[in-house]
Amino acid sequence: MLVSPPVKKSNLPIFTRRILIIVGGYGSGKSEVAVNLSRHLVETSGRQVAIADLDIVNPYFRSREANQALEALGIRCINPSGGEFYADLPIILPEIKGAIEHNDELLVLDVGGDDVGARVLSSLGKSFQKDSYEMMLVLNRNRPFTSNVSGCIRMIREIEEASRLKFTGIISNTHLLDDTDAETIASGYELAKEVSNKTGLPIKFLAGLAAIVESDEFADPDVPVLPLERHLLKPWESAD
Amino acid sequence: MAKVLMKGNEAIAEAALRAGAEGYFCYPITPQTEVAEYLSKRMPEVGGVFLQGESELAVANMLFGAASTGKRIFTTSSSPGISLMQEAISYMAGAELPAVIINIMRGGPGLGGILPAQSDYFQAVKGGGHGDYRVLVLAPSTVQEAVDLTMLSFHLADKYRNPVMLIGDGMIGQMMEAVEFPDDYQEPELPSSSEWAATGAEGREARIIKSLFLDPTGLEDNSWKLDRKYRQMIKEEVRSEKYKISKTNKVLIVAYGTMARICQTAIDELEEEGISVGLFRPISLFPFPEQEIFKEATKANIKSVLTIEMSTGQMVEDVQKVVQGKKPVEFYGRTGGIVPTPDEVKEQVRGIVSKKKTSGKSRKKT
Repeated sequence: MLVSPPVKKSNLPIFTRRILIIVGGYGSGKSEVAVNLSRHLVETSGRQVAIADLDIVNPYFRSREANQALEALGIRCINPSGGEFYADLPIILPEIKGAIEHNDELLVLDVGGDDVGARVLSSLGKSFQKDSYEMMLVLNRNRPFTSNVSGCIRMIREIEEASRLKFTGIISNTHLLDDTDAETIASGYELAKEVSNKTGLPIKFLAGLAAIVESDEFADPDVPVLPLERHLLKPWESAD
Repeated sequence: MAKVLMKGNEAIAEAALRAGAEGYFCYPITPQTEVAEYLSKRMPEVGGVFLQGESELAVANMLFGAASTGKRIFTTSSSPGISLMQEAISYMAGAELPAVIINIMRGGPGLGGILPAQSDYFQAVKGGGHGDYRVLVLAPSTVQEAVDLTMLSFHLADKYRNPVMLIGDGMIGQMMEAVEFPDDYQEPELPSSSEWAATGAEGREARIIKSLFLDPTGLEDNSWKLDRKYRQMIKEEVRSEKYKISKTNKVLIVAYGTMARICQTAIDELEEEGISVGLFRPISLFPFPEQEIFKEATKANIKSVLTIEMSTGQMVEDVQKVVQGKKPVEFYGRTGGIVPTPDEVKEQVRGIVSKKKTSGKSRKKT
């Protein structure tokens, strides 16, 4: 079930690069970040925005489930159609390659989890022009394999190796779904800063549930913030 | 331990390790492959055996062999894979071997699809393999409960020396929830497997673990011996949960797993409309909570019982049997990977409440 609550103003910078690749571990929140980022871009950039769901490893809770809401905002959604919409098969639509190479629209690529999910990027590698993309790691401290600096660095290495692309930044997106509070988000941001220091990768922005990051109890971090509205819900949940 | 965010499949894998599982045999199939993926990393860390077989047939027979050693062992699969394992499950029940088998159900029959379903109820509860045997069947409805019941499954498998099956629809395996693992897991003491396990016969009589009994009296004795265990399960292992059951209920919903959570949302929303509905959620599917359902269903305030499943109607047959015609038993189901919404559940309840007389006939999506 999808709803479109009003998007709160976020203080994200407009990215200078055209292609934004969202990768990370399973369950780090990549799809939710990709969906919200697309909304933010369409509302602030004045440009055409497309989102491509490249998740070929995970069969449920993918950004394609938010298609209807995104298309209503004028965002172009690139997904397989028919029965393949529901498949976890390695389907790379030719349209995706086209969008990477030729279009001048902003393109958000929502990639599958871990190195296994990121491998799909290596098949598109030649399509990416140098400096045309940002590849950002979505980091959730509460996931078992990214709960400390060494786990995060291992994930960064594994994804870079599998994707044959280099990271350009980090998105701090620590949450515990319904159990998230301001402290959860802040503790994840601390880890993201440590990873940033160790790797030299800048934190591009922090993402967190709007109800928390827009409240007074949340101390503003020294990076831009993307407030999240949840789009990928369980069948018994509603967005309000 | 602090809460972590885990996918149901990962949480099940970690729970098995916490319960002392030392061997895991698998063959990948969506929507449960993350269990194997997770254990391929974690099993070596705890010194256990991770083995990907060449098929589910091989895996189930590896399970049979490994169970004979008395170690805690398990497998996970999804519907078509579980079908392939039924022969070995029957053999394990016949040979009185403990094993945990986890089915993250997808839509069937045949290859079906990869989205969530509850259409393996008959297979799990009525015995998918041949012979007079039962497996103990547990059905979680949250990721935390999947953790708790996975750990319990190993205990019950050892307690009864019988396969235990945990069934969750694809949603249970794929969704993320915050979970907590117990810091020091304790379970009641059990007799040691050293009395029966195949551990090397040096210095003692050889033990032959088998399900073959050519002498009919021997086979009959074994079957009645197994039956006594199943009677004991019926006495001791019934598990269930009630939600908003009260004297004002007009309708009693019976649902399990993910379906029960959707019904809870519907029940909360119906309450605001002034329609009082209770939910009975079986947690053990065998043994089925027969007396408990009979007691709740036959109360004077209940106009009708409504069974809701992600199938074309399987558990509803057991509900009908239990209710013995004393109240109408209605049915609503979606299948093929389509999950009923809270709105669909509400519509069914409103239909029942507004009718003067309910039919007791199954109502299915047309």
